[in-house]
Amino acid sequence: MKATEFIVNALRKQGVNQVFGYPGGAIMPLYDALYDGGVAHLLARHEQGAIMAALGYARAGARVGVCIATSGPGATNLVTGLAEAMADSIPVVAFTGQVPSALIGVDTFQEVDILGMTLSCTKHSFLVEDQNDLDRIIAEAFTIATTGRPGPVLIDIPKDIQLAEMACETVSELPVLPPLDGLVDEEVTAARALLHAAKKPVLYVGGGVGMANAVPELRELAAALDIPMVSTLKGIGSADPEHPYYLGMLGMHGLKAANLAVQESDLLIAVGARFDDRVTGKLDEFAPNAKVIHLDIDACEHNKLRVANVAITTDLKLILPALKMTLDIAPWRLHTLEMKVDTAFRYDHPGIAIYAPLLLKQLSASLPEDHLVACDVGQHQMWTAQHMTFTQPENLLSSAGFGTMGFGLPAAVGAALARPDAMPVVVTGDGSIMMNIQELATINRAKLPVKIVLIDNQRLGMVRQWQTLFFDGRLSQTILDDNPDFVALAAACGIPGETVVVKEQVQPAMERMLASDGAYFLHVQISEQENVWPLVPPGVNNGDMLEQYDEC
Amino acid sequence: MSAKQVHEVVIEATNTLEILERILRVIRHRGFRISSMNSVQMNDCNSIKITVTVSGERGIDLLYKQLEKLFDVSKVSVQHMTTI
Repeated sequence: MKATEFIVNALRKQGVNQVFGYPGGAIMPLYDALYDGGVAHLLARHEQGAIMAALGYARAGARVGVCIATSGPGATNLVTGLAEAMADSIPVVAFTGQVPSALIGVDTFQEVDILGMTLSCTKHSFLVEDQNDLDRIIAEAFTIATTGRPGPVLIDIPKDIQLAEMACETVSELPVLPPLDGLVDEEVTAARALLHAAKKPVLYVGGGVGMANAVPELRELAAALDIPMVSTLKGIGSADPEHPYYLGMLGMHGLKAANLAVQESDLLIAVGARFDDRVTGKLDEFAPNAKVIHLDIDACEHNKLRVANVAITTDLKLILPALKMTLDIAPWRLHTLEMKVDTAFRYDHPGIAIYAPLLLKQLSASLPEDHLVACDVGQHQMWTAQHMTFTQPENLLSSAGFGTMGFGLPAAVGAALARPDAMPVVVTGDGSIMMNIQELATINRAKLPVKIVLIDNQRLGMVRQWQTLFFDGRLSQTILDDNPDFVALAAACGIPGETVVVKEQVQPAMERMLASDGAYFLHVQISEQENVWPLVPPGVNNGDMLEQYDEC
Repeated sequence: MSAKQVHEVVIEATNTLEILERILRVIRHRGFRISSMNSVQMNDCNSIKITVTVSGERGIDLLYKQLEKLFDVSKVSVQHMTTI
């Protein structure tokens, strides 16, 4: 048996039945084994599309994403996706072809030291030196990708190793991992004491909750504590959006009530969150009166940016139930509820032009119950986080920590394969979509029913907004009034669509899109002057948000 | 500018081809400068012991935890040397 046949068998043993990739010279042996190997392969039209699809597959389906690329440029095209997976803790295993072992280090055609290049954006990586190590390496790669804080693992395989005969054809049984350490009584007691004493506690929910599969435990704890909650971008969908004291996303474009509650709080319980700069604003003025309980599987996050009074390194599924109690915080609940009502978004936008926040709110209300939304990066991403409602974290796929424009379209491709019963929606911008526009051809090839909503302001809108606010309106390289005809571009890829420009066109067009069997491209033109509000400007604390009415 | 702490860090790790790169990259990226370094292959040839003297303004605990997290690293110990 050749090494590549063994790899495909090992993938099947790991439960992998879908991979994403793009063939090329140094990975041809593995593609030969995939030809009839019993693992489905989705051909992207760029290696970055392949890895972003694998990430969407992993995030939406709560499993490992697998992608495959050739050596050299194929491998380097994976780098952004690996970094994305590192920042957002997404389990992915990337296989790259490498030039033959004897030709490594002599500047061979399509040779690059991808292991060296990706040391900083993988959780771990392997260069296979002996085909008989593959059994161990693949098992370790999947274990590393999925355990603790998940992340990306790279396996680089020289072409001669791929073609070599295996001494042993049997894929080993998967290792049984020892159970995680239990809770430490003293830590739990200390956390409970802080919680019991707090008068203004806030639960600060991060992406770790979904990654730990701890959404039920979080919701049970929230119900028991009846506590105000805020969410990071990646945490959206973890807390029950119907919970009366759920205040929404916090941070730079967070909801005002969420930011004010955190600023006023006397105790923050950070759950799978990491005090990212987009969350905290000016760090030394973030939640200035709050003690901190920090719960995370990754000890490296504790005391990195904010010193915790109690830091517990553990599986969230274990610790969250241990914190249930009844809190005596009625005045604080009432106060946060009043802030939530007083600062709620308004949708009474004047004029006939389409208002993206309202459109996204309408879209959210119109989607079938089983849906997922992949978005790109920029204004539309923040509007999606602010104005759409998500009931599970795996229903919103957003490039949060790395902010990768071009994530949305291919992520939806992968997500559509992971969750064939869910309606896959992309919310994107005219800047972002052009970063991986070639994946329209993938959607057409795979006949995936992806509904694409392009919010087009003919600008790189978020950068334009900052130029307007903080760079004297000098619109350097952000005007895109020569964009392609997007509907024609989609049509050229076999995807029907239409353009809407005024409010009254939105609902019927949306209904046509949602009723369509296959993919659909809804091109939404909005004013180039729309900004994302509120906004915490650089260098100030989250209590000093700029709001829409500050504009004039 | 705040004072820099100098620490000696001893790392035991699997002796893979790239282990030094992995460790040195983490030390640099997390904000520490190396003033001396020694690397010795252990008797079994499968592991390596690396002793580095590092200085930095950030807490050494951050570096300790990042090194300990590396898959190939089996043991990390830290000793405070001086303040500069």
